[in-house]
Amino acid sequence: MKLASLEYLEEVKRRSNADPQYLELAKGNNESYTLVLEAEPAKGVNETVVIGFDNVDGKMNEVWVGRRPTQFTLTAPYGVWVDILRGKIGATQAIASRKLKTQGPFLQLLQGANRIIRWVEILRTIPTEFEGDYAQYNLPGA
Amino acid sequence: MRAAVFRGIGQIEVTDVPTPEPGPGEVLIRVAYCGICGSDLEAFLTGMYEPGLIIGHEFAGTIAAVGPDVSLWRVGDPVVVGDLIPCWQCRSCRNGFPDACESIYMVGVTHDGGMAEYVKVPAVGLHRLPEGVSLRQGALVEPLSVALHGVRRSRLRPGDRALVMGAGTIGLLTLQCARLAGARTLIVTEVDPPRAALASRLGATAVLDPVRENLSVALSDLTDGLGPDIIFVCAGAPEPFAEAISLVRKGGQVFLLGLPIQPVETDFFSVVMGEICIDGSFAGRAETAAAIDFIAQGRVDVESLISHEIPLDEGVAEWFSRLTAPGSGAVKVLVKISGDS
Repeated sequence: MKLASLEYLEEVKRRSNADPQYLELAKGNNESYTLVLEAEPAKGVNETVVIGFDNVDGKMNEVWVGRRPTQFTLTAPYGVWVDILRGKIGATQAIASRKLKTQGPFLQLLQGANRIIRWVEILRTIPTEFEGDYAQYNLPGA
Repeated sequence: MRAAVFRGIGQIEVTDVPTPEPGPGEVLIRVAYCGICGSDLEAFLTGMYEPGLIIGHEFAGTIAAVGPDVSLWRVGDPVVVGDLIPCWQCRSCRNGFPDACESIYMVGVTHDGGMAEYVKVPAVGLHRLPEGVSLRQGALVEPLSVALHGVRRSRLRPGDRALVMGAGTIGLLTLQCARLAGARTLIVTEVDPPRAALASRLGATAVLDPVRENLSVALSDLTDGLGPDIIFVCAGAPEPFAEAISLVRKGGQVFLLGLPIQPVETDFFSVVMGEICIDGSFAGRAETAAAIDFIAQGRVDVESLISHEIPLDEGVAEWFSRLTAPGSGAVKVLVKISGDS
């Protein structure tokens, strides 16, 4: 599945909502998120992709491709998202080092660190195709 | 080597990890002392560090090895590390605002830190400790640089009346920096009696207990009815952040140095009606050299802030729990590692 496609997002939702550990960590969470994967034309990623989702009591509810108002917006070059999914950099470290720019209540985001770490672990299990030069790092899934 | 590793919310483990090797442009430091910082405690409470990270960004030691391409440093040099090492290549760095670097390197926050026998760091972030500044004192250079950065960024002017809310390490260092910057009246609020006593000893004009005193009335008495020209909020609890806006004089400044780990409701009506300026800062990169000089000149007392010294292998995790509970009575807890002087 192509990273950040609607098909991919639906799979993220399916796997997340089926993961007891994630659901326990996310319980009570009603936040909405926009993720911006910025273009890197020099690496063959020609277009910025904007996706989003919202949670209802911890469960991923609606997922979408495109721009909507959300509580949080996380923005990074495409390659940073790839690095996070490959495990080359942790999500918390990406936020702390500002490689992943955040807009929204920063403290609230950090307090959900355990949930985010588990969520990224789930994402790493999804067969994922990357764009451009990053295709060499495609994830086989589990 | 032994190191204090962050495992997640409420979990610090002192354990064996591989000793790092310095790469190109890096040095290996043999750590003498490392302080437990308020932001380490907040990570302990919130989980804002990456699990597996070796904590510790307030440390001093001597260079144990230098990597390739390092020419200015020698084995044995006593050093500290600036808390924020910019990339100098991103848009913010190129636009002259390196503190907003988009790819920051913070030892003990984004990369493994100094609560360990050894730590490797980029040589570009090093500062030499001069004769007369011990490695023990050097462990307080970083928090002093944070306080100094805040005071320098603030609107404080000679002759101002200032209030410092919270007499922890940053509050007590801000108190001393504000005095050096020419504040004529320096009031401190603090609930903990030992910290309050220390604030008096370090130059506070008055120390108020916010639980027992009506701060508005007391501050009115101390400032000819106007309120403080500037308030430095150096606490982690949410209350002082909200109170400061109602306590500062009209047209004054509230300067935030503490990190509240709970959301704070703010009376923006009073901000608008009182033309109050709210500003804040974090880290102290650019002030590291000045902080070292102030200690060397004896113009800032850091020794008095060291309330406890503990070995790396005895009770570090317990101290994290103790320091995150109210009324610990501690100011700065230093972890003694090599203990070199």
